[in-house]
Amino acid sequence: MKEIKIFHDATKDVSAFADKIKAKQKKIVGTLCSYAPEELIYAAGFHPMRLFSSKSDIILAEQHLQTYCCSLVRGVLEDSLSGRLDFLDGTVFPHTCDSIQRLSDIWRMKGRYEFFADVVLPVKLNTQSAKIYMVDVLTKFKKDLEIAAGREITDTDLRESIKKFNLIRKNLSKIYALQSQKPGIIKGADLYTIVKGSMVMDRDEVADLLPAIAANIEKMDTPEQNGKRIVVSGSICDSPDIYTAIEAAGGVIVGDDLCTGQRWFEGQILEDEEPLTAIATRYMDRIICPAKHSSATARGENMISLAKKNKADGVVFMLLKFCDPHAFDYPYLKEFLEKENIKTLLIEMDDQQQNLGQLSTRFETFIHYI
Amino acid sequence: MPDKLSDKRKIKCAKKMRDIMTTYYLDAMTAEQNNKQVAWITSGGPVEPLVAMDIIPVYPENHGAMIGASKMGEDLCTKAEDMGYSSDLCSYARTDISCSVVKGGPIGGLPKPDMLICCNNICGTVLKWYEVQARFYKVPLFILDTPICHTRYSPEIAKYVRAQIDEYIVFLEKITKRNFDYEKMAQVGKLAYKSQMLWQKVLNTTARNPSPMSAFDAFFFLALIVTLRGTQIAVDFYKDLLEEMEQRIKDGISMVPNEKYRLLWDNLPIWYRLKWLSNKFSDHNACLVADTYTSAWCSAIKYTDENNFLDSIAEAYTRIYLNIGVDQMADQVLEMIKFYDINGLVMHSNRSCKPYSFGQMDIMKIVREKTNIPVLMIEADMVDPRNFSQSQVETRIDAFMEIIKQRNS
Amino acid sequence: MIYAGIDIGSSTAKAALIKKNRLLGTHVIPTGYNPLNAGITVFEAVLEKVGVSKIDITAIVSTGYGRASVNFADTAMTEIICHGTGAHFMNPDIRGIIDVGGQDSKAILLDKNGQVENFAMNDKCAAGTGRFIEVMANALEVELDQMGDFSLKADKPSKISSICTVFAESEVISMIAGLQKRENIIAGIHESAAARVAILAFKINIKEPVMMTGGVAKNKGMITALEKRLGFELIVGDFAQENGAIGAAVLASRL
Ligand code: SF4
Ligand code: SF4
Ligand code: SF4
Repeated sequence: MKEIKIFHDATKDVSAFADKIKAKQKKIVGTLCSYAPEELIYAAGFHPMRLFSSKSDIILAEQHLQTYCCSLVRGVLEDSLSGRLDFLDGTVFPHTCDSIQRLSDIWRMKGRYEFFADVVLPVKLNTQSAKIYMVDVLTKFKKDLEIAAGREITDTDLRESIKKFNLIRKNLSKIYALQSQKPGIIKGADLYTIVKGSMVMDRDEVADLLPAIAANIEKMDTPEQNGKRIVVSGSICDSPDIYTAIEAAGGVIVGDDLCTGQRWFEGQILEDEEPLTAIATRYMDRIICPAKHSSATARGENMISLAKKNKADGVVFMLLKFCDPHAFDYPYLKEFLEKENIKTLLIEMDDQQQNLGQLSTRFETFIHYI
Repeated sequence: MPDKLSDKRKIKCAKKMRDIMTTYYLDAMTAEQNNKQVAWITSGGPVEPLVAMDIIPVYPENHGAMIGASKMGEDLCTKAEDMGYSSDLCSYARTDISCSVVKGGPIGGLPKPDMLICCNNICGTVLKWYEVQARFYKVPLFILDTPICHTRYSPEIAKYVRAQIDEYIVFLEKITKRNFDYEKMAQVGKLAYKSQMLWQKVLNTTARNPSPMSAFDAFFFLALIVTLRGTQIAVDFYKDLLEEMEQRIKDGISMVPNEKYRLLWDNLPIWYRLKWLSNKFSDHNACLVADTYTSAWCSAIKYTDENNFLDSIAEAYTRIYLNIGVDQMADQVLEMIKFYDINGLVMHSNRSCKPYSFGQMDIMKIVREKTNIPVLMIEADMVDPRNFSQSQVETRIDAFMEIIKQRNS
Repeated sequence: MIYAGIDIGSSTAKAALIKKNRLLGTHVIPTGYNPLNAGITVFEAVLEKVGVSKIDITAIVSTGYGRASVNFADTAMTEIICHGTGAHFMNPDIRGIIDVGGQDSKAILLDKNGQVENFAMNDKCAAGTGRFIEVMANALEVELDQMGDFSLKADKPSKISSICTVFAESEVISMIAGLQKRENIIAGIHESAAARVAILAFKINIKEPVMMTGGVAKNKGMITALEKRLGFELIVGDFAQENGAIGAAVLASRL
């Protein structure tokens, strides 16, 4: 599909892609977590771009972060310090885990880019005062963006932005739903690329392409195959090879609990409400990440319903080594799922190194016995 | 190893302290028989409202320190790993989680909580850890969410945290089925303020040359300001301790016999090697006179208003040492270097504690640029000895001390 | 007056004797199980080599991992100070030292007077140490002292991504199974180790000229890989391996 190829090209060489955006006189603001309010960045006329590690050797970042920091945080800092992110005009850090919190400090002290903002969102997402605080923080962030952009962000700007992101989200949800209904209709690596591309590419372009992809897939017949239905869970899964390896082992990905997946795009923003409040509501209500709190069992319940809704045969936890929030949740999520007779597999990964041979063996064994 | 501390150098208050802590843990263990409720609370959490409500606060982190000091960390950490918890997680959390299940450790586990109070001003780990315990004990969890002040304490944060202090009180009223006693709160607030001031004064005595006590003693005497802050017991105790320190200064009694070099410690202690480290430094005539850890319990006291306690603690609890930007932390380290007249900085790169350890290298660089004192970083973990290599650490300390001696000769 | 330095490392024990500002001689033996015995043996050997006897020795300083075991030494000093002193003694211009030993790698920064200003050492794991290369040599069934020569014949060094020795070993084994050229794998091993060591040098902002010391300095493959990483040339003296012992002897003369 030619639309998917555009996504592949963009994600393969992010910096070349960034140059294209810059050629359009747009400023690029990097973000480090799926709680970064992209809608505001876009409304300010900037290009929001989710940052991933280029997975290069860690050399310069070694002088700032110890080896027991997750490879995503170390990798992104390495990219910044070595100049691979020089296309950035700014960065936004929503507060999430302890590692990102300190990365933000180091990043700010280095001061490599013009614009810098900490968007310290609440950790608690289940109270009224947290909601008020969320709106307050977004209001402040909006002001910061206005200063950086040298112009006001009007309600109309916000509403348009909300519409754009809703459209993107809705279509991604649709593609995922189709994949779950007709598993294998889209290759895992393509699925990954579409989501990742939607996080880094020009959102206008994404909003144009996604409906076409969804429509195309919808017309396709259910592929002949009877792979085991797999749901993937973790922080991010930034490697198409892993998707391919799961498929090669006889699995098919029917859903995920990832920030490079459903956690990022599920949930619409109400379009007929006061925009900032509507945005805040979506970030309060979306599928929760383990660095946030809504109840002690929220993620477990969500995992079960996700697995059941997608009739999952098994859940694969892809955890980044040294990622505390996810490592803390793993034992109970596993327990919850096993109570429902859903089998799980734990893979501890490091962005910099993936021993695919060993991974394949583990996937094959797992898929064989579920 | 024979205790090198001659009787003259021993701090007399230590016994009193042990007795108080024993009574405290006995009270906590027998809370149920005495119809008292128990709250587990994080070390940086606002304990004063609990004291005002006559709820016994229990500190899993203090318990973790005890587990570490009694060298039971490895076993309990392994048990947590068997339960599925990664060995990269904070060892306080790991030992506490497994201890709840196996009832192990030096005191056979902590008394069961009636509620959990989690303040995330120290880290995000406590949030996850308390969620685990909320599921295990099936008790209500209150989270005091104190947004990190990377560069400032914003009006948004102030409003949010202040609102939560009220929610906290409502939570306590609901669980105890009693009305909050605001009068008692005012008294408790005053006592808390007093004990923190006294603790600060105790720590300040080590600015004297030679120092009457070391950071190793501070690690020990810290337990009271953590657990019994807001009580008369703590106030009385720290008064005595302060007196003893002042007397030691008068009598010229130092903790390290021939104190020549004064060092500053950063990060949590290495609980299972305190004695070894203390002897190691003292063999080099060096005294760890201060640390960034024990002072965290009074660093935000400037924001506390003893006459308007409830209103002021929102700020005081939000702006503690770990909940600020690395550059501000570096400023505090620089201040301490000056105040305590420090010859070298020892940083414990602690695998357990990411918010404390990430950024240390930047602080190190700032200290080197601005002060010209040597800085040493040692890799370890506060409770899990598997992350500690004695011979490696020994070589580093020896080399570091050789450099300090060269520079000061 | 003659002074002695004894360096008990994890794999080799070294001894050096100096008189005034002159190096009289050195000796190297494998450490074996007993560091004290190694100390005695290497000390006696160097005495014999130079042709002096114990009573001629004014003072002895021990260093290295086994430094505390050498009970006949006057005092013990760490390798860091000894390497610093040794390098300055051999070449007073030296400002930086990279020492890759069996268990430990270190980068040391000296001031103009040869005093240690700063140092960095590898963390707990063996990555970037002599041990790392040794494990890989075993996995490849290549003699340790051949590793350098093999490495220089590589046309396209393999990429080893694991830092951890255990994982790297399994990576190497799967490379052998994947029929990658041995020369390339070995060059890859050196590049991987060099990357770890270079990080230490960057950490302390090392200044040129930099001397390479320690047993691994004999490994040309490692030197080449390091120079590539660092972007400058390393000075390798004739007594790289014995540098710590020489420094210890110099320090003995200052006691
Ligand atoms: S897992 Fe949590 S912290 Fe990480 S990107 Fe997602 S939302 Fe952000
Ligand atoms: S992977 Fe985990 S540790 Fe790393 S940034 Fe995301 S939430 Fe934090
Ligand atoms: S040691 Fe660090 S991570 Fe662990 S509970 Fe304390 S502050 Fe949190």
